[in-house]
Amino acid sequence: MKQKEFLLGVSAMLPLLLGVVPFGLVFGVLGISSGLSETETILMSSIIFAGASQVVFAQLWAAGSAYIVIGSSVALINLRHVLYSASVAQHLDKLNFKWRIILAYLLTDEAFAVSIKRFTSHGTSGPVHFFMLGSGLTLWLTWQTSTIIGVIVGSTIPENWELAFAIPLTFIAIVVPLLRSIPTIVSALTSGLIAICGQSLPWNTWIIIAALGGILMGAFVEKWNHNK
Amino acid sequence: MIWFVMILTGLINFIFRISMFSGIRNIQLPLSLNRYVVYVPTSVLSAIIASSLISFNGQEVLYEAEKLVAASIAVIFAYLTKSVSATLVAGLITIWIM
Repeated sequence: MKQKEFLLGVSAMLPLLLGVVPFGLVFGVLGISSGLSETETILMSSIIFAGASQVVFAQLWAAGSAYIVIGSSVALINLRHVLYSASVAQHLDKLNFKWRIILAYLLTDEAFAVSIKRFTSHGTSGPVHFFMLGSGLTLWLTWQTSTIIGVIVGSTIPENWELAFAIPLTFIAIVVPLLRSIPTIVSALTSGLIAICGQSLPWNTWIIIAALGGILMGAFVEKWNHNK
Repeated sequence: MIWFVMILTGLINFIFRISMFSGIRNIQLPLSLNRYVVYVPTSVLSAIIASSLISFNGQEVLYEAEKLVAASIAVIFAYLTKSVSATLVAGLITIWIM
């Protein structure tokens, strides 16, 4: 039963790996080209273990940003995990602390998506935490492996391949499918515009200002739409 | 120094992940937070996308036309395929041939 749940979790994660592998490779390559060492790049994938924020970390670090800007950008990007955490907690209320630590560490967009689907469709009477463990571990292993391959390949790629351009491309692939409502689109455009105009601000603070501007604008438009 | 920043941000990230799930205390999220959090990923990532394509230094707008074309093609691919690999390949091939 436990083993079955675990394997179900593993197989639910498999299709999502198609998006994870290239992202991990890109991060490995970019870590090296941002001037991080091989060890730093590889270990960041287990210490931070959150794709987009790792890329931002490497990029801001390479640009010599203030530590507080790096830290708060990473935190801002990962704030959504608080929501996932609250949502998972509603379904897994009988676990001991050791389990909670492990599953919290493995809580990512992908693991959350497949696990919540399982919890809501099959209830949580069985050992469904093994489902989350299976999906989370599969993602974790894939992320680490693809980072390592990216690091190895990264040091052999010539600079004129423009691989740094893979960052905005990867983010375009993540953002575009999410732009499904007017407030989200306005939010993204606002943030983009502030980012363009704020390039000469010190310590790369543009990223925080642009993000906050976009978030507030999105919430504002949503409320305005709602009240109309 | 990088280790200090990395471990600290990793720790913050872990605290976010366990925050509502620790079982130690029953914390309730303010509902209003939800309204803001949904805009976080698109907002942060759009800022990075825009800044790597165009910059304005107060006097002039700087950009590379090839990157704008490649990014536009990537947007189309992302919209149609929703696939990271397809978008990456389309964008990189465009910038290589231009």
